[in-house]
Amino acid sequence: MSEFSSNINDKIINSFKSILGNQNVLTDYEDRYCYAYDATAIGETLYLPDAVVLPENKEQICQIVKIANKNNIPIVPRAAGTNLVGGCIPLKGGIVMHLSKMNKILNIDRNNLICIVQPGVVVGNLQQEVSDLGLFYPPDPASLKVSTIGGSIAQSSGGPRGFKYGTTKDYVLGLEVVLADGTLLKTGGTTVKNVTGYNLTQLFVGSEGTLGIVVETTLKLISKPEEQQVMLAYFESINQAAEAITGIISAKITPATLDIMDKNTMVTIENFHHVGLPTNMEAVLVLEVDGFKESVAVQTQQIIDICNKFGAKNIRVSQNQQEADELWFAFGAVARLRPNVLTEDAVVPRDKIPEFITKTREIFDRYNLTVCIMGHAGDGNIHPNVSLDLRNKEESENFEKAAEELFDTAIELGGSLSGEHGIGMLKSGFMRKALDENSIKYMKEIKKLFDPKNILNPGKIFHE
Amino acid sequence: MNEEKTKIKSLKDYAEDVYKCTKCGLCQSVCPIYKSTGLETTVSRGKFTLLNGIINGKLKFNKKIAKNLELCLGCKACYDFCPSGISAEEIIAAARNESLKTNKMGFIKGFILDNFRSNFRLSLLKIFLDIYKFFFLSRHCEELATKQSKNVSWFFGLLRFARNDINILLNTMTLFNSQLREHIKYRKLKPVKPQSELNIVYFPGCINNYVNPSVKNAVLIVLEKNCFRVNIPKNFTCCGIAARSSGDFKGFSELAENNINQIPDDVDYIITDCASCGSVWEFYPDFVQGKLKEKAKLLAKKTININKFLAEREIYFPENIEINKKITYHDPCHLKRFQNVFEEPRKILKQIQGIEFEEMKDADVCCGAAGTFCVSQPQISKAISSEKAQNILDTGADIVCTSCAGCKIGLSQGLIEKNSTIPIYHPVELLAELYLKDEK
Repeated sequence: MSEFSSNINDKIINSFKSILGNQNVLTDYEDRYCYAYDATAIGETLYLPDAVVLPENKEQICQIVKIANKNNIPIVPRAAGTNLVGGCIPLKGGIVMHLSKMNKILNIDRNNLICIVQPGVVVGNLQQEVSDLGLFYPPDPASLKVSTIGGSIAQSSGGPRGFKYGTTKDYVLGLEVVLADGTLLKTGGTTVKNVTGYNLTQLFVGSEGTLGIVVETTLKLISKPEEQQVMLAYFESINQAAEAITGIISAKITPATLDIMDKNTMVTIENFHHVGLPTNMEAVLVLEVDGFKESVAVQTQQIIDICNKFGAKNIRVSQNQQEADELWFAFGAVARLRPNVLTEDAVVPRDKIPEFITKTREIFDRYNLTVCIMGHAGDGNIHPNVSLDLRNKEESENFEKAAEELFDTAIELGGSLSGEHGIGMLKSGFMRKALDENSIKYMKEIKKLFDPKNILNPGKIFHE
Repeated sequence: MNEEKTKIKSLKDYAEDVYKCTKCGLCQSVCPIYKSTGLETTVSRGKFTLLNGIINGKLKFNKKIAKNLELCLGCKACYDFCPSGISAEEIIAAARNESLKTNKMGFIKGFILDNFRSNFRLSLLKIFLDIYKFFFLSRHCEELATKQSKNVSWFFGLLRFARNDINILLNTMTLFNSQLREHIKYRKLKPVKPQSELNIVYFPGCINNYVNPSVKNAVLIVLEKNCFRVNIPKNFTCCGIAARSSGDFKGFSELAENNINQIPDDVDYIITDCASCGSVWEFYPDFVQGKLKEKAKLLAKKTININKFLAEREIYFPENIEINKKITYHDPCHLKRFQNVFEEPRKILKQIQGIEFEEMKDADVCCGAAGTFCVSQPQISKAISSEKAQNILDTGADIVCTSCAGCKIGLSQGLIEKNSTIPIYHPVELLAELYLKDEK
């Protein structure tokens, strides 16, 4: 082991081993090779870490970070590695801190409706555990079967339920964060109301591991809705679907989810999974309403009436959640079209959705790229899923150009770069398009204050 | 037929499959090994990355990669979950085959595989096992099962040089104890209706033939009672499952050829009781050449698991005879995910009067045995088995049923660790018990 890209050396590796135990420090080339990526399609470039560490408690993390800071070694926290903007990729080498062994739910407090968890807890597991107690943790990133609370906090991720229930940021009450100097910072607390100085908790939520490493968190829970109902409404044009969305929202109905898929998405799903989607429709709305039994029945009927009014060709009311789960699973089929898939993420004001979808299709068509568009229409969050082969240089360059145009369009329409994936390494170059000079200046000042040596996930969010 | 198609697929043939892993990481949610180790290198996404590196020439097979390749149960759980539909199990078997060219198989694993390759050696093993049964399969086995690690390692501590290997061997032996108990002895029973005309070949597998004939006895009793004539060709060898998943493709092809040759052309069904022995018939066509390939394709369609065969037919359930037990069922990977059989055994069990069926948590998660995995990776294997055993115990069941000789090892390994003596039955053993009681 001679070709370290950071200041790491054998002595430092040995000190890690004495803190964590030999089995929790990986330095073999083959091991490090498996920590050079996350779920982002970045082609064949290899960003190899110099070491991978697997801490088991927060004290160990403090010690590791202290050593890393002293020696100017970059450190990239990672859990399930499902990030889609390269957030877990060790751009500058150094240490990848894999938090898979810190995956315990420490406490679920039914009286105060909170839970305390470690960062490696899988979102889906937490949802299941609290659901068994009649409680509900709503944030639902598509990857929730593997993605973790730590990652959710880092990217402030959300999902379909964002429309009614908000995203991760709305559920984090308190944090324990290991700062760049290896000290522990506690923010917030265990109460929903808490105005005690600056809201440092929210500063860390969505900071993508650049300000500190979250080692414990207190999350807000709510009561589980009594009933859920899933509906699929098919339309012959995107505009009709969009009108129905506006109709539903202006009728003061708040569905738990209000998602849209375009024709390409339906055709792709049908090609691979045969779940019974019509392939001759231009758009489908996937809606879920929840609440007390009586209210669910009323909302369902109202939505059916509105969709019919705006020209829905067919409305399917599903009997159970399973059907929706199957549909979301089937959505993964976009990965089968071509070898690589890039899931983009942009957000626009809700009433701009039809225009944005039309323009998105126009952009990707112009660059000869296959795109399946789906989005959380309720909150204006659109995900164009681009299927391509990154080994094809032309395709990959076309994608870069198309992506830039996509973000320009989103910003023109009054939107922004990301709804729920974050900036990471992929979008850092576009930050100036979305934010004013002063915003960026103060963000950088904050980064400098917390991490003067720039060791925490360097190269992310800000373009260097 | 063109040359390309008759060749056994190598790692290179899977290059596109390996490349198309989008690295979404969903495999982490179902991989029992990842759950136990928490290491990216152990999950399919990590393995595909390494294999892609090898295919691109950035990495070379070495000891480290061979070890990573070993860390796959072949349970296929990630395949069901993979948005890109990549079969890790198949690709890793091919990669292991390639890896064997540079990294020799471990001694114990090689020794085990060699035994399964020759019926003669299995017969020797049987003699050894019979002697073992005679001396140890009584009260001793319970003692050994619970205190094995302490006492035995003390005794063999004298043989320090091979202590680890002997410990591993002994551990395997201890597990056999629970395998060796013969729940069902064969008796010729009166058929309930006129003889069926179906031409059935029963492929009993080597556990039945050389270790414990209990399930075989039960299959014969149940089929005969229900008026099916059963033919067992004499020269069957091991199904070869362990050879294939270890990447010993040459060995597997030889076993496949032999077994295919034993089957008469006019066969209607090949019945298997063991999940693994059943699943290989699906692989055989890819591992044999020429005419045999065509025959193998036909036979793959005629192979049926005993649970499915029985569940599809009106079989005999004696009135007024009950088995008053609470029962849970473990789904063997090679039955549920390779042969799509999981409702059938449950249907049979629920039809038996008196049985209270209780589903366990994660019934279809691998038991941890995974062929030679339990020998080569005892620590991880035990951790997985132990979790399985806990799920069994949580149901409060009196009996756990499964339909695979390999899973029996995994289940008993876990149950032994939990100091439990819950017996492990094949569903047909319960049926046979019912029939035997009926004719008393």
